[in-house]
Amino acid sequence: MTRVRVTAPRSAARPTAEPRDSAEESAVGQVFVRSLIRSQLRLALVVAGGFLLILGAFPLLLGAIPGLAQTRFAGIPFDWILLGAGIYPVTGISAWLYIRSAARNEARYRDLAGDKVMLR
Amino acid sequence: MNPAVGIAAVAAVSVATAVIGFFGLRISRTTGDFYVASRTVPPWWNASAIGGEYLSAASFLGVAGLILLSGTDALWYPVGYTAGYLMLLLFVAAPLRRSGAYTIPDFTEARLESRAVRRVTSVAVVIVGWLYIVPQLHGAALTIRTTTGLPAWTGSTAVVVVVCLTVVAGGMRSITFVQAFQYWLKLTALAVPLIFILLVLADDGSPALEAAATNPGGAGPASPYQSISLLVALLFGTLGLPHVLVRFYTNPDGHSARRTTLIVLGLLSVFYLFPTAYGLAGRLFAPDLARTGQADALVLLLPGRLVGGPAGELLSALVVAGAFAAFLSTTSGLVVSLAGVISQDVLGGSVRGFRVAALVSITVPLGLALMTDSLALAGSVGLVFAFTASTICPVLLLGIWWRGLTDAGAIAGMVTGGLLCGGAMVAGTVLGVAGTPPWLAQPAAWTVPAAFTVMVLTSRATSSRVPRTITRVMTRLHTPERPLATER
Repeated sequence: MTRVRVTAPRSAARPTAEPRDSAEESAVGQVFVRSLIRSQLRLALVVAGGFLLILGAFPLLLGAIPGLAQTRFAGIPFDWILLGAGIYPVTGISAWLYIRSAARNEARYRDLAGDKVMLR
Repeated sequence: MNPAVGIAAVAAVSVATAVIGFFGLRISRTTGDFYVASRTVPPWWNASAIGGEYLSAASFLGVAGLILLSGTDALWYPVGYTAGYLMLLLFVAAPLRRSGAYTIPDFTEARLESRAVRRVTSVAVVIVGWLYIVPQLHGAALTIRTTTGLPAWTGSTAVVVVVCLTVVAGGMRSITFVQAFQYWLKLTALAVPLIFILLVLADDGSPALEAAATNPGGAGPASPYQSISLLVALLFGTLGLPHVLVRFYTNPDGHSARRTTLIVLGLLSVFYLFPTAYGLAGRLFAPDLARTGQADALVLLLPGRLVGGPAGELLSALVVAGAFAAFLSTTSGLVVSLAGVISQDVLGGSVRGFRVAALVSITVPLGLALMTDSLALAGSVGLVFAFTASTICPVLLLGIWWRGLTDAGAIAGMVTGGLLCGGAMVAGTVLGVAGTPPWLAQPAAWTVPAAFTVMVLTSRATSSRVPRTITRVMTRLHTPERPLATER
């Protein structure tokens, strides 16, 4: 009786038989891929930059308007509300916007790459 | 509080963890199951599991303790812990999932076609994991000492034993169930006592909130440099944490990896409201804890203090259970990812090797934890984030987004970042809290740019070494994986 040892793949980044393999075979396909990567990177940088700007604006806002930090809402000082709770919705909205746009970029790529597959 | 209540709470969480772990074992069959649950965990389960794994001793105890000590300055910790996931989503989540690799060393080896890079990455991952487990065990020691009066080492040892049982028995599949359960346990354990505290306070009338503005322990305000450097560490450290990244391989595709991250962001945002509320309440009603060096125990002690009698005892038991869930989940997550790395690199990737590696990956930090004493929990975890941001983060970001990265550049950058940040950590330990200048205490603001710069410049200088597979790998990382016909 032979014993078979099951092991994990050592180097797993091996392409499988999927439609995206066809995209890398031609120069035209690579143009689409490069443009997809560029637009995804641009999107990520814009969202990250926007988020960090808002994040940086919060303490500046508190410093710029005297008395704002001590203003009470439901008995809690405003600086605690802004930094302790107000940043989370900004994070969530940034993430949601990013996911929508990233999926749109991918759909556009798929349309282009799909057309190319049809031509072959 | 009554020691029996604390012991009962710890025992209940440990038993629940072990039972769910064994239940999961039944459906864990192949090596693929064992490592990453065969990549079939649905987003909600996966997101709860990621939340459960990520919310460590630092989040459950440390954040409230730091807020007690330094007020609004400490709010940057929960903000950074959460925003780190946004960065992970933007730059890493989908491409990493599409790489198809099991671990970070798998990814760097496949991307750069280099065994040497794999080995350096593995070393970095193991160091990060060990450094991250130590504060968890310190937290367990603190909890046991504070709530039961037993010797501190029993706490760390209890965590190690339960983690060994679950991980060695079930691997990632059972871990996923355990982690998801523990996220919700942690949330409940903070939320329910807080509701009771608020009810009691509402009866007593409006508290004097002016006290919230002064630091009870006499801590000075943080400089802008410290806040910014801390944020750099937390924002860029999260996307290199091995136990967080291994979770992304359990998503079926890149798009679901993104959706999972969005849910995680929501779960973390809800969770961090509670330590913040405990910290604020602590400044008002338990400032003496800051003066006696017990700030990290604030979450454990506050419910018993403010809600007396049997109700207070029960609420304290709930908080202790939540705290233990935090130590157990983060430690087991780290042990799984470390064991994955060690077993594949040293022991050939078999299930048996995985079990041996799991034992190795938890014994070393147990030794470190027993030899050292706990500093502020959130602070020591913050330093681990700085180390990750200086080593693993640059190689991931440049590997995913820059075609010019070479194996020589990756190694040079990781070694530079690791030496600079590690050196700062050692210097900080030698000099002590009072003697460490801010630029050494929070090194991320200069070690992270240094690592990136060295990585880019060395890659430029060795540009002939860019792997020939770069086009194929980049295509795989960034193009959507679903068949064309099913979409739209």
